[in-house]
Amino acid sequence: MNKNSKSKYIYLSPVIIYAIVLILFPIIYILFLSFQTSDNYGGIIYSLTLNNYLKIFDIVYLRVLYKSACIAIITTFICILIAYPFSIFISEKKANTQKILITLVMIPFLTNSLIRTYGWIVLLRKEGVFNSVLRSLNLIDNPISFMYNNLGVFIGLVYTLLPFMILPVYSSVSKIDKKVLEAAEDLGANSYQKFMKVILPQTLPGIFNGSLMVFIPAIGMFFIADLLGGGKIMLIGNLIKNQFLVSRNWPFGAAISIFLIVITFILVKFYKKSGGNMDDLGGF
Amino acid sequence: MKKIIIFIFLLLILSGCTTSKENVVNILNWSSYIPDEVIRDFEEKYGIKVNYSTYSSNEECLAKLSSAKEGTYDLIFPSDYMVELMIKRNLIQKLDKSRLTNLENINYNYLNYNYDYYNEYSLPFLAASVVLIYDTSKIDETITSYNDLLDDKYKGEIVLIDDQRIVIGMALMALGYDMNDTDVNHLEEAKNWLLELKDNIKAFDSDSPKTFMISKETSIGVIWNAEAALAMKQNPNLKVVYPTEGFSVSIDNFAIPKGAKNIDNAYLFIDYILDGKVMQKIIEDYPYKNVNFETQNYLSIDYLNNDASNISDIKFNTGSFVKNIDEKIELYDKVWAEIK
Repeated sequence: MNKNSKSKYIYLSPVIIYAIVLILFPIIYILFLSFQTSDNYGGIIYSLTLNNYLKIFDIVYLRVLYKSACIAIITTFICILIAYPFSIFISEKKANTQKILITLVMIPFLTNSLIRTYGWIVLLRKEGVFNSVLRSLNLIDNPISFMYNNLGVFIGLVYTLLPFMILPVYSSVSKIDKKVLEAAEDLGANSYQKFMKVILPQTLPGIFNGSLMVFIPAIGMFFIADLLGGGKIMLIGNLIKNQFLVSRNWPFGAAISIFLIVITFILVKFYKKSGGNMDDLGGF
Repeated sequence: MKKIIIFIFLLLILSGCTTSKENVVNILNWSSYIPDEVIRDFEEKYGIKVNYSTYSSNEECLAKLSSAKEGTYDLIFPSDYMVELMIKRNLIQKLDKSRLTNLENINYNYLNYNYDYYNEYSLPFLAASVVLIYDTSKIDETITSYNDLLDDKYKGEIVLIDDQRIVIGMALMALGYDMNDTDVNHLEEAKNWLLELKDNIKAFDSDSPKTFMISKETSIGVIWNAEAALAMKQNPNLKVVYPTEGFSVSIDNFAIPKGAKNIDNAYLFIDYILDGKVMQKIIEDYPYKNVNFETQNYLSIDYLNNDASNISDIKFNTGSFVKNIDEKIELYDKVWAEIK
């Protein structure tokens, strides 16, 4: 190790310690827990068993998994549909305007997402702002059910996760060299061909990155399903929470968590196989 | 100048570190259960600093207690079945009742239950019941039972507590079974009963189901009695029913964890709360069922006339407690996943 790389490690040490203490250790503990047996009192009996993993394949829990995946996939698609045109729109602005618009996208992060979700309740409920406005404009007679159903869950998830799609998509869209687009035009590509053959392939890593960043939290965001869906939909996140806080079965909850982590890795692997560049995913 | 500011700032930060030797009591309690005013009065009267943290379910209390270092908490407030479980897991210690001057204030109807037969480990703080309430301005029929709720007319009109034991227990009672039944076939029936009810359910909410009844989002609720009583203050059209098939009740208790460091202060706090007038302040703010004889003399007419809060002892004794069902909880877990 030369002097240069030594000092590199010294500078990186806070991050490394952070990652080890707050990310690696908890995951190892969760992995350890997932092979234990619950004692039904919130404790564990030391053992080495695969039962917790086998239990995930019970039809009841598979249905929860399937439902969560559907909701997360739909959320991801809606996010792409909104974020993509929006990113192109931003990238065509002047550099300073771009900075301002991207800052605006990030401003909601300054407020806790739970509080923002409560804000949505005020807007969406039966006697809420939207319904009052629509009613006073005589557009509707009976209040529309915006929440306590699937619609509410989608509104909440898309709203909360949209920035995670916009940021990576925007960064890949803004990286496209304008000269390449001009070259495509010179070679006779129409706008459809230009989009399909030039723009889309170059932005795919951004879309994939955004999709991962939306899909995975969407599966786990139980408080949105609880607050805007009226607690009527059980997502995988609710299931995990219930294992820890209601059924007192920590090992099973841990097994589902590990299962989710494994699925994430498979998705990333799949991305790599299909020709994606790991550097474009930034982080992985 | 800058240096002075930084120095003062550092002093302020460090001063936070020196409080460990102070006279404190570390309390872990349900969220929104004791008004801040009561805590402040206690701090002023005894010169003891109260470190107050909260939980929103018995299981959360168990998780916090068992994962924290022994001696982190001096006083907790577990419910009936959780007391039993904590005794089994050796997490709480026997109480020395001779240290409590206000002991005789406790209503003996709420002592000596099965979960801690001689109240060696716990003493009742409050009692609660799950009641059915409905808005008479929106519902013309008289509702008396859980089975009445299956009517198609009530589509999207019901709010339930988000608690699997209470909701599945309600279905079991509606079908004529015990609310702690673990028979697979009975649970299957309960699941189908709940699936039939599902279209009528607007939401499951444990945090503030009263909001649904006050904002008229729903016209029927199966919720905790204090929530019902608070909703009735805002919406006088609400009517309380104790369903004919039965209802669930619970008792929340004082308990001192094993290895507590400030035991003297914990006893002082319990004794302070057991004082009739102090308990009155708590009960008026969070109108659960009062279990303190002395307090009964100070309670307002509003509270005493409210059927939700002031359930009679005789009526309370007909309610059912949630009981520990050990590994059978998995059956409830599956039913819960299926109806959601």
